[in-house]
Amino acid sequence: MSQTDGPVDRRDVLKLVGAGGIAGLAGCAGGGGGGSSEFPELGNYPVEGDEVVFGFNVPQSGSYSQEGADELNGYNLAMDHLNNGGGWVDGVDALSGDGILDKTVTSVEGDTATDADQARQEAQRMINRDDAIMVTGGSSSAVAIAVQELCQEEKVMFMACLTHSNDTTGSACVRYSFREMFNAYMTGQALAPVLSDEYGSDLNFYQLYADYTWGSTVQSSMQQFLEAEGWTQTNSVATPLGTSDYSSFLADVPRDETDALLLVHYGLDAANSLPQAIEAGLDEDLEVIVPLYNRLMANAARESIDGIFGTADWNWQLENDATQSFVEAFRNEYDKVPSYAARLAYSQTLQYAAAVERAETFYPPEVIRALEDHTYSGFGLGEETMRACDHQAQHDVLVVRGLPEGEQTEDQLLNVVGQTARGDIGYACDAGPASECELGSYGDE
Amino acid sequence: MTLLADVASILLNGLQQGAIFALLGIGLTIILGTMEFLNLAHGALYLVGAYTGMFVFRESTLNSGLLNSAGIESFGLAFGFLAALIIVPLVGLGVGVLMERFVAKPFYDRPETDQLLVTFGLALIVTEVFKAVVGGDTFQPVTPQRILGVSVSGPVTLPVVGAFPKWRLFIVGIAVAVIAATYLLIEKTDFGLVVQAGTHDSEMVRLLGIRIERSYSLVFAVGAALAALAGLIGVSFQTISPQIGTERALVPAFLTIVVGGAGSVPGAIVGGVVLGVVVAAVTQSPFAQWAQIVLYILVALVLVFRPEGIFPGGVGE
Repeated sequence: MSQTDGPVDRRDVLKLVGAGGIAGLAGCAGGGGGGSSEFPELGNYPVEGDEVVFGFNVPQSGSYSQEGADELNGYNLAMDHLNNGGGWVDGVDALSGDGILDKTVTSVEGDTATDADQARQEAQRMINRDDAIMVTGGSSSAVAIAVQELCQEEKVMFMACLTHSNDTTGSACVRYSFREMFNAYMTGQALAPVLSDEYGSDLNFYQLYADYTWGSTVQSSMQQFLEAEGWTQTNSVATPLGTSDYSSFLADVPRDETDALLLVHYGLDAANSLPQAIEAGLDEDLEVIVPLYNRLMANAARESIDGIFGTADWNWQLENDATQSFVEAFRNEYDKVPSYAARLAYSQTLQYAAAVERAETFYPPEVIRALEDHTYSGFGLGEETMRACDHQAQHDVLVVRGLPEGEQTEDQLLNVVGQTARGDIGYACDAGPASECELGSYGDE
Repeated sequence: MTLLADVASILLNGLQQGAIFALLGIGLTIILGTMEFLNLAHGALYLVGAYTGMFVFRESTLNSGLLNSAGIESFGLAFGFLAALIIVPLVGLGVGVLMERFVAKPFYDRPETDQLLVTFGLALIVTEVFKAVVGGDTFQPVTPQRILGVSVSGPVTLPVVGAFPKWRLFIVGIAVAVIAATYLLIEKTDFGLVVQAGTHDSEMVRLLGIRIERSYSLVFAVGAALAALAGLIGVSFQTISPQIGTERALVPAFLTIVVGGAGSVPGAIVGGVVLGVVVAAVTQSPFAQWAQIVLYILVALVLVFRPEGIFPGGVGE
């Protein structure tokens, strides 16, 4: 496991200066996180006392509570490893397994109920009442965007968990938020060539997409990259979020003119639309594709996913060491394999902690700089870079396919059919979603 | 797709959706019309039907909840849909009788706000009990493959419309048959006559030596059975989770009786079909995302221009 910083590492410079005898500049006054800091107050900095508080803001009620519970498992495991060692903490040089900057990590939890307003209120409470130094969570892009906006205003860091919309690190990006998960644009880049290889290069496709930020960015990215492969979009239709009966939408799909149907629905929307599409016999007349899988959906629609392509952030079946050590630690703790939501939660918590250790302070602008352009590996997806220009992690993307029901097990519903290398996807800082990103201030200018 | 095919598709999808709305609306409206009791736990009865249906109809894997904690990994008898079609309404009847006896009856003479509070509280309790026992997992809809040897799954090619899910046609058939039976029960039988007379003047009915309370209990039970049956139908094509009661049953039932006329069985039938067809028509138009908004606009217009609904009075007149 390795972690290297980008070309300009401010902390290394400060360390050298400190070693030269200029006390104070290097944060020698006892860890840099406490009240006797060299940095001015900002957000919830400085951190008082022996403990530092993280805010875990996940859906604990409503339809996505199971996903939220798995995220919480990932967060709690990360907190345990940060305080007591174990898991990936043992392999990250910056982390000691004895808290962060000698402070014990504790947490407060919030219930977003997958509602942007409620999520924002919960995050506000964590920041104002509980003095959370970092907030993390989200299982919806609308939630993540709402909370990251608040965090930018409050100058408290947000480590985005499950959010796939281009807007999170595109038009709605903020300086105080970082995203480990890939996005809709990268789904289009990874999935379109695979679909073209599998089904041919001259197909007509039709999209049904969830009518909010995530659905519309996946729809536009899939259109962009499928058309680049020679496919033609015949129509795309927005469906209200939370629709449970798609029969009228599906009845409107022109079977004679359509070769492929993209169901741009996430989670429970897909758990309804996919089986209903299969029941209507659409899979007999055309190819059905679900651009983004998650465990909740795969589990709920397990009888309908046979052969259906999509993408996923990560999968416990990957054979690299980091994946297997995480799976083992998670299984020992919870007696089941982690979903990719759990990996995101775990890795984002550790990423923040390692950045604090590298920065040697909880002062948010310094932690942000420690994360920007930071290159790391050992988080299950090969070498990654947390880009400075849009705070979007650049890493490999998995293309997965649903297993036939007879080959499914409780833990294995999908097969990883490809891992598209980060070099084959991604985009420049002046292209794609990043071209719309204006990160905003660090807060110490 | 031609205009004719579009219209036929809208009518068919609208009828299917409308039949379920009507089923839910009738259950709510006969209780409201007969006993003037506003039952916000109607969604909970739908939930009882959905989970009971799932339990009888098929076997499902449990990932959380008390049953799973007790070592039970699968849940269900897998008796098939036909068995569920008989058992679920009976369970609904039983739950309805108990609910009328222990929850509704003590509140008949209390203000409507008390009725709302107690039934809303009951709905929350039922939701949480299901969540605790079988977990908050979402279960996939499972369409029956065969009933009495007849294939009911997969698409069927209809004239004009083209391919259409066969099971949806069976749903329409089941709902229409049950609605017709309920209509006949309320409108054409002695029992229905007593119920209707009781809603006009219950004191006079009692003086005639008729035990109106028994009729009330049965009406409540029938309403509950209809909601439970709607839950069973939902299991066959929509996901099931503890949260669905309000969203999929209570709200559509209220919208249906507002449009159709509170207390009227024919009103609930017509209201349900009108709403179903409107939703299908907007959904299949270029303004699909406006479907829910148009639905509420329609209801608002009815409230403004014809607050008594399409069929004013009815059973509750």
